[in-house]
Amino acid sequence: MVDPRVARVAAPLAAFAAMIAVVMGTGAVLFARKIGFDGDTVRAFYLGSEATFAPPRSLAGLLEVAVPHLLAVPLLLFVTLHLVAFAFGARRRPFALLAGITWGCAATGIVAGFAIRFVWPWLAPLKVAAFVGLEATMLAWLMLLVAAIVPSTRGESRSGDLTASEAAPPRAAR
Amino acid sequence: MRFLVQPTPPVPDRARPPVRAFLAFAALLLVGWVASRAAHGALTPEGLARILEPLPGERLGPLVLWEEVHQGAFLYGFLLLTIGSLLVVCPVTAGLRGALLGLATVAALVDLLAPFLHVAWPGLPGWAQLRIGAFGVATATLLVAVAVAWATFGREPRRTDG
Repeated sequence: MVDPRVARVAAPLAAFAAMIAVVMGTGAVLFARKIGFDGDTVRAFYLGSEATFAPPRSLAGLLEVAVPHLLAVPLLLFVTLHLVAFAFGARRRPFALLAGITWGCAATGIVAGFAIRFVWPWLAPLKVAAFVGLEATMLAWLMLLVAAIVPSTRGESRSGDLTASEAAPPRAAR
Repeated sequence: MRFLVQPTPPVPDRARPPVRAFLAFAALLLVGWVASRAAHGALTPEGLARILEPLPGERLGPLVLWEEVHQGAFLYGFLLLTIGSLLVVCPVTAGLRGALLGLATVAALVDLLAPFLHVAWPGLPGWAQLRIGAFGVATATLLVAVAVAWATFGREPRRTDG
């Protein structure tokens, strides 16, 4: 059964989840095409490359990308995590763990570009790991969100590692 | 957020001003979005084809298309979530609410994804018109939803028992 309070907003939540899936999918394609998943290509993107006549990234250029993301990414995570907590009644510890990984990957991904360019180029794998971690955890959050609004075919409570059991009702119900 | 979308009867009057201010900005965003696309020539098939013309070797389409879809989906996602959630607590019929949200969502997805038809099948006719039409439907539907939420948020449901 879907929580009746959640069922009322199921349509907006589904629309939001679909659009955020597009955001994350296009983000992955943009990362692959512009930066790449290999340490060498990441370093070449930030430090420039004589082979491709690419100049190093300027501070202004890095900020032009980072500043909008410093608004959009936290806003996206705040709303998504809030919705999952509200809709799914997450258990405190697994929720905090996954949320911490997501927030950590988001922050690392944004800061890593500056660090590679100005501090230590060998941090390139960290940039890739942070991006992959953010995409993977966001996929998990979106799946939890969708699971919260899709009616269970067996009419059973969907309790898992991250969610509350029937014995411990969702915190959102308080 | 909970205060805004889960009012307990009587609906708190103090929620109405911030909701209406937000809706005014949402309408401005939609109008600005249309103006921005018009200014870039993206509301004519020729202009759209010129903007989204891939460079040699760009098998997956131009980067600018992916960036535009990336940003557009973010905007659509938050508009659909916020306006759709506000409509849930407005005294409008479920049919009207579902129609507005469903039409806006489908049109938004078509707007975002139609250019990939051109990427997948170069020379396919009609993709630009499809995208422009879908953008028009999506923004018009969202503007109607904003207007409905503006007019009805915080009002008592109409009594049906005579």
